[in-house]
Amino acid sequence: MKRLLTFATIAAFASGVAYADTDLVKEGEKIFKTKKIGNCIACHAANGVKLDGPGSLGPKLQGLSAWPEQALYDKVYDPYTTNPISAMPPFGKNGVLSDHQIKAVVAFLKTIK
Amino acid sequence: MKKKVIASLLIGSVAFLWAGDFNAQAEKDRKALQEYLEKKFADRKNANAFFPYSTKDELDKNFKWGIKGDDFRLGSYAYNIGGKAQYEEMNEMPPYEDAVDAGKELYENEKGIKECFPDPAIAGDYPKFVKGKGVVTLSKAIVSCAKKNNLKDWKLTKGKTAKLEGYFASVSKEKGKKVNIVIDSKEAAEAYERGKKEYYSQRGYLKLSCATCHVQGAGQRVRNEYLSPLTGATTHFPVYRLKWQGLGTLERRIKGCNKNQGETPHKPGSTWTSELLYFMAYMSNGLPVDGPDIRK
Ligand code: HEC
Ligand code: HEC
Repeated sequence: MKRLLTFATIAAFASGVAYADTDLVKEGEKIFKTKKIGNCIACHAANGVKLDGPGSLGPKLQGLSAWPEQALYDKVYDPYTTNPISAMPPFGKNGVLSDHQIKAVVAFLKTIK
Repeated sequence: MKKKVIASLLIGSVAFLWAGDFNAQAEKDRKALQEYLEKKFADRKNANAFFPYSTKDELDKNFKWGIKGDDFRLGSYAYNIGGKAQYEEMNEMPPYEDAVDAGKELYENEKGIKECFPDPAIAGDYPKFVKGKGVVTLSKAIVSCAKKNNLKDWKLTKGKTAKLEGYFASVSKEKGKKVNIVIDSKEAAEAYERGKKEYYSQRGYLKLSCATCHVQGAGQRVRNEYLSPLTGATTHFPVYRLKWQGLGTLERRIKGCNKNQGETPHKPGSTWTSELLYFMAYMSNGLPVDGPDIRK
């Protein structure tokens, strides 16, 4: 099942889902900032992005534009895959964010220098 | 004669040893936790290890270092300089004073309350483990007393119960009472262990544990909000929260934090909540009772 999912996301990236799409970036930014949706701002500041009182439970996000999209997707989907003791919630695995929403967040993360 | 004295001395010390035994693990946990927190807030030099994601600016300017023991009763205001200033401003005209007066009124005049609680200076003695009943929090004790006397509208989370607790807390504080949670049976020790396990378990769809935010996370921020430490988390209840515009009990606060971790809140008064509070209160054993207080 997991393999299938990974395959599906790779396929999505490969088929060039419009990650540069500004609407998608905007949607991702909104998820990032909104308490009832992603609420990433509770824990993360982001380099170059003006945020109202970002938290410090997680690192200030920077240099993410250099990350492969798949790595970002995996981090948000389930941070335990790369860090089994992560204090970050698994947004995809627990169904907090949908596949589409995670892709939107990833599109936004890719703009973080 | 002599023999008898020795025998009773022996029995006395055996009983003492037993009592010591049942809370031995809890004592170990309590000391380890306090040591960890004291180390964490000892000085600026080691801060980067404990606060990897905090900004240099806040660590330099907004943190008070060298926090110890009783200081933790202030929650995050023990170390958050900016927050403490705001807190002191709010405390100039404590918004809970009327509620404490109302609590005193209830204590004096509501039927049966005084009989249930002859001594009002008991805020530091709860939760208690009662054989056959399990963990009884102060809110539970009050509500069941009210029920016994057919009194209406006593809830576990706010209103009359919180007001009466406010009165109990302020009398306890005036008398210099300290938190004094007792674990004196195997069953009590088991309830404590269950509470501890829940505190450290990841829960809710966010998979956060209480400890993620209040042990490991103490002093870090969720948005602008500095997280308070587990040591001292229960000493100052009930609290007047700006968000509530009124007094609330520990039961009320736990509901909110269940939501923080993406979990449907457990019922106030449930075994889950009460055992969690038993563990939490034990972690503050020996700290001064400091309620009621104000929180954002
Ligand atoms: C409760 C706190 C918390 C929340 C909420 C949270 N994170 Fe995290 N995040 C962390 C922590 C702690 C780390 C560092 C540990 C790790 O890498 O797993 C982290 C790491 C990351 C990283 C890796 C950064 C790096 O430089 O290694 C990314 C990317 C990330 N988070 C994105 C997000 C996004 C996107 C969201 C919201 C959808 C989010 N986080 C929500 C706590 C959180
Ligand atoms: C996502 C982070 C988070 C998690 C998880 C969390 N809390 Fe909190 N908690 C907070 C915040 C933010 C506050 C308000 C600031 C403060 O005083 O710590 C708070 C406050 C509290 C307070 C009041 C402290 C005071 O001094 O008045 C208590 C008690 C508390 N939490 C208990 C718990 C318990 C018990 C759990 C687990 C069931 C829990 N928290 C889980 C974020 C969290």
